[in-house]
Amino acid sequence: MQKKWNIRTEVLGVLLGILWLTPFYLMFVNSFKTKKEIFTDTTSLPEGWNIANYTEAFRELDFLQTLANSLLITVASVTLIIICSSMAAYSLSRAKSKISTVLFLAFVAAMLIPFQSVMIPLVTVFGNFEMLNRPGLVFMYLGFGASLSIFLYHGALNNISRSLDEAATVDGANRFQVFWFIIFPMLKPITVTVAILNIIWIWNDYLLPSLVINSPGSETLPLKMFFFFGEYTTQWHLALAGLALAILPVIIFYFFAQSAIIKGVSDGAVK
Amino acid sequence: MRTRDLSYWLFLAPVLLALTLVVIIPMLLGVYYSFTSWNGIVTGGFVGLQNYIDLLKDERFLASLWFTTKFSVVSVILINFIGLSLALIVTSRIKSSKLLRTTFFMPNLIGGLILGFIWQFIFVKVFANIGQLMGIESLQGWLATTETGFWGLVILMSWQMAGYIMVIYIAYLEGLPQEVLEAAQLDCRNEYQRFRYVVFPLVAPAFTVSMFLTLSNTFKLYDQNLSLTAGGPYNSTEMVAMEIFKTAFTQNAFAYAQAKAVVFFVIVALVALVQVYINKRREVEM
Amino acid sequence: MKDYGLRKGLLVSMMLSAGALAACGAEEETTAATAGEDEVTVDVFQFKVEFKEQFETLAAQYEEENPGVNIEVTTVGGGEDYGAALRSRFASGDEPSIFNIGGPQDVADWKANLTDLTDTEAANAALDGTLEGVTVESEVLGLPYNQEGYGFIYNTRILEEAGVDPASITDLASLEAAVEKIDSQKEDLGLDAVFALPGKETWVTGLHLSNTFLAPEFDNNVLTAFDAPEVTFEYGEAFKKILDLQNEYSVQPTLSLDYSMQVEELFSMERVAIIQQGNWVYGSIAGIDQELADSGIGMIPIPVDGYDEGGLPVGVPMYWAVNSEENPEVVEASKAFLDWMYTSEAGKTAVLEDFKFIPAYEGYDTSKISDPMSKAIYDAAEAGETIGWVFMGYPTGWGQDQLGADIQKYLSGEANWEEVTESAKTAWSTDRSN
Repeated sequence: MQKKWNIRTEVLGVLLGILWLTPFYLMFVNSFKTKKEIFTDTTSLPEGWNIANYTEAFRELDFLQTLANSLLITVASVTLIIICSSMAAYSLSRAKSKISTVLFLAFVAAMLIPFQSVMIPLVTVFGNFEMLNRPGLVFMYLGFGASLSIFLYHGALNNISRSLDEAATVDGANRFQVFWFIIFPMLKPITVTVAILNIIWIWNDYLLPSLVINSPGSETLPLKMFFFFGEYTTQWHLALAGLALAILPVIIFYFFAQSAIIKGVSDGAVK
Repeated sequence: MRTRDLSYWLFLAPVLLALTLVVIIPMLLGVYYSFTSWNGIVTGGFVGLQNYIDLLKDERFLASLWFTTKFSVVSVILINFIGLSLALIVTSRIKSSKLLRTTFFMPNLIGGLILGFIWQFIFVKVFANIGQLMGIESLQGWLATTETGFWGLVILMSWQMAGYIMVIYIAYLEGLPQEVLEAAQLDCRNEYQRFRYVVFPLVAPAFTVSMFLTLSNTFKLYDQNLSLTAGGPYNSTEMVAMEIFKTAFTQNAFAYAQAKAVVFFVIVALVALVQVYINKRREVEM
Repeated sequence: MKDYGLRKGLLVSMMLSAGALAACGAEEETTAATAGEDEVTVDVFQFKVEFKEQFETLAAQYEEENPGVNIEVTTVGGGEDYGAALRSRFASGDEPSIFNIGGPQDVADWKANLTDLTDTEAANAALDGTLEGVTVESEVLGLPYNQEGYGFIYNTRILEEAGVDPASITDLASLEAAVEKIDSQKEDLGLDAVFALPGKETWVTGLHLSNTFLAPEFDNNVLTAFDAPEVTFEYGEAFKKILDLQNEYSVQPTLSLDYSMQVEELFSMERVAIIQQGNWVYGSIAGIDQELADSGIGMIPIPVDGYDEGGLPVGVPMYWAVNSEENPEVVEASKAFLDWMYTSEAGKTAVLEDFKFIPAYEGYDTSKISDPMSKAIYDAAEAGETIGWVFMGYPTGWGQDQLGADIQKYLSGEANWEEVTESAKTAWSTDRSN
């Protein structure tokens, strides 16, 4: 490959990078403006960096509570997905049989079903069991998230030699112990991928929670965003501050885990 | 482990239960509902294919289907083009490579709903503002017409997803053996040739994945559609997912909405299967 | 509002069918148990975000005066769909004691849960006509929140400088003349345009504007509209003329204008002279320019060409209803609270001064109504110069999703007026025949 520093590409890349960040920049600078300023000027810097919009948005969003709700649902769902789908994938990869093949194909085929095709009956069924609440939502995420996760785990498990299992079994470990103490630790890279893909999806999901979560105080961040796009009017000065607040945790997470995230996404798509 | 072992089924039980209750039963129930006149309160009688016959004549549904198709085709092309371009940029010898990857990928971490709101602000407020300052008429009233709404959605999705697709292309580009690339460097007279005859065929498998992801994401789009245009003006930028939703909730026509949902499923599944099939075959030929 | 609305509706009716069976058993007992001892808990589920805090303060005051009564207020946040949220509250078994209903359709839907409020003091004090939409077979099933009205809101200073006397605008011809006069001087007056027509807001065109022209054919009565098998657009031509006038002399493109741009960005910043809106804009204008809101604006009726008995369309946006499924103690406590709010001295003061409502009840010191629009509406109501809010009786979704969306097509040149009215007529009769 060429060793020479490619300056033209560098400039092009940086310009594109700036272009890519412009929306965030515009959101950020305008979130400090007063309502009046936004009417007249959205491109320059604010007259004063007042944080009144932020304090109000923080209060209106009930930010800490809402953030906690989002965290709770995401962590619970992703943990459940990791535990259940890795175990399921283990079964399917270790017992080679027609049943396993059929089940595996069924899981893969389920990925083709768009959410909109099942949402109406889904809510009816769960309504019947009084499960339109947070535990119900977590369980639904398991149902929708399992397919892809099993698919990823299955691929990784096929690359782990069965002789390991057998050796451990000979030593007297039961299936549970073999999986959790020997196999699961070896799945760490793919577990990271599964975790990241599911975190991104569940953290940002809007439609499903909007159908399932109804009691005030248990909304997730995306659900609360509509607060500023109200009945009569869009309050841009508050909305932009609210959007910035909602993005903040994600940016922090990204800052610390960017390599893992990009690798996770890449592995998830390529495998 | 064998399939008759208890542990086999114990390990599978939670996901089987979840998949059955969350996806399979609702899907079967949904198909059943689509043949009834269920309105949400009363299950209603069996009406045979009536809902399906009705939806073939439903202009709003057909319009949303057409809009969705146009949007998907244009977006898939643009996203893949931009994504591959970005991948080529960040894999060349530049110093800001890592920073740029981080930047281009960033929008994907943030929910479509939030991104849609941010872009709504840009199109409606910032565009109008710049238009006023520079006297450019065409920057006024974005999202107020079908065309600007369409391109607004395309821009939003390209901006968001190109970084994701970039990551996939990078994985393939970096997987290319160094010797091949170096040989190409010697043999090919220019960049274009190098790309056309060496890089392109080697990253072809990435197309399968990228096309699949972009197509399924754009075809099923809901959040961005909702927060950017909400279907306006006059429902002309309403995509299928939103149309189904509104049929169910604003009109309380649950069975009818479910029939649309079944059709939607068939289309999504067909497109996905056909596309994977074609791409697989092309890969083999290459 | 309806743009994003109704998405929670899923839960709604579906669960009423399926979930209700299961829900009734378990949850109601717990409600009864907590309320059963010596304390009565009145659970209020209401929609008006704008007065949330003031209302909570009043509830706290009531609790203090009435130990043993506990008022729990839940307000559905802005942008959420109240109707859908309410249905899911019921479906989940956590039923409120006091909730809101909008008009005849809601009354029909919730009939089984509505307490007869005929014997309340508030019902007796309610102004003539305000109970029309919620009275079924002489049973009063809801109590009005307040009155609201809309029309053309104008900027007094601008009209004066342009040499236009608002009092002279009494019909279409005089309105056209005034608009042209203002338009010819818009440079000097510093205006972008005469009007700001918010084409994006289907409730402004599809509900409010259409109401002005459809009310006459339904005798100004919401129930007549609710029962009407068809709509004829008797004053369709007049409707078109006003819409065209607003569109032609508006800031462009009208389809991109929303409520905020119309009221805050253009009218409050004095960049347009006249807008079609209601007294609820007071807060929005005051947020930008307090002085303008308090003393710089006025309101006139939207003229209907060929119909002389016009006036400001005044109506009740929402009603309080008491859940008849609650135990009798709670029902009584709920009624008592509503009576106190609207008929006691403390309540009346709060309604008028803190809520800034235009009262829908007798016995108020109306000289305390401070803002000019509310005053104009109250005066018109007192003089009987109003027309009804028949849009509460439109078929579900017809006003915004059908007519409003078609008006957007018309404004963008995608459809002609004939097509708009024809498809609106068809949609109305189709809905009514089902």
